[in-house]
Amino acid sequence: MRSFKTLLWLEHRRSWVWAVALLGSLAFWAWGIKQVLVWDVGERLAIRSGLLFTAGAIGVVVLCMMIGRIRSETRHGQYQVLLLTPPSGYAHVGARYLYAAGVAFAYFIAIGFLYWWITALAGIHLDVRSLFELVLAAPFYAISVSVLPLLAWTLLLMVFISAYRISGPGWIPGTVMLLGTPFALRWLLNGIFRISYSMPGWRLFANVPMAVIERLGQPDPETALRIEQVAYDGVPIEPMLIMLALTAVLLAIAGRIWQEVEA
Amino acid sequence: MTQAFLIVVRIALAGLVGFWAYRLWTGTRSWTSRGVGMIFSAALLWQIIGGRW
Repeated sequence: MRSFKTLLWLEHRRSWVWAVALLGSLAFWAWGIKQVLVWDVGERLAIRSGLLFTAGAIGVVVLCMMIGRIRSETRHGQYQVLLLTPPSGYAHVGARYLYAAGVAFAYFIAIGFLYWWITALAGIHLDVRSLFELVLAAPFYAISVSVLPLLAWTLLLMVFISAYRISGPGWIPGTVMLLGTPFALRWLLNGIFRISYSMPGWRLFANVPMAVIERLGQPDPETALRIEQVAYDGVPIEPMLIMLALTAVLLAIAGRIWQEVEA
Repeated sequence: MTQAFLIVVRIALAGLVGFWAYRLWTGTRSWTSRGVGMIFSAALLWQIIGGRW
């Protein structure tokens, strides 16, 4: 436990600039949101939502770059030193991952608050339940199905490439994993789509449609029916559970490779 | 003609991925890395040989 804390501290020492820069970038996005001055309320809300979505996407790229710096560590000799240290590979991988996942949670919860802010700017007043869903439940779900497995995949990619650094062909493992992933992912997503909604969905934002209608007016009957259906069904639980399990498997494999590779 | 060309391309790509798989197997002493390499090579080979083009 003590060695894990030390590794976590080390990760913080090496990555805090990235974390602060990422979280600080939200001030820029907040400024950008205020610059959107389209007259139509719905259009303005859509553009601001798009900006926040872009902020989330860029944040994911930055987080992947933050967690996947093993190549530069290898060049500077830090990676070889870390391989020789007493803590197990699982502890090294776990500490790196936990730090990045913590930053990701903070970032996406902050984006949830910004979403709340833009809905308030649009004159849509959410109740307490919807607010909690927006800043806690929705970021947790979104991160679980996308960011957490992606970070684990990036970490595995880097550890996998590093396992070949002595024999030389560093580009071959990287290329094979990068090219093979879309096909493996397609099979996984087909399976997920097939079993989605086998269990009852997680009902998020059940009260939001009413608040939006109060402000923006009644949509056409077809759209209203679709919104009602989505609000009633909720989001499927299965993708979240499968992606969290996949994350654990990817991290376990990365930790195992770290244990096995030669320093 | 097109069919024959695609078969030649498939064979060439399968050979390339097979060579990569060989390098991934022999390039490390980590069995887990070998396993990961084989899984992704197999996914690529499956797509090259059995996939719809």
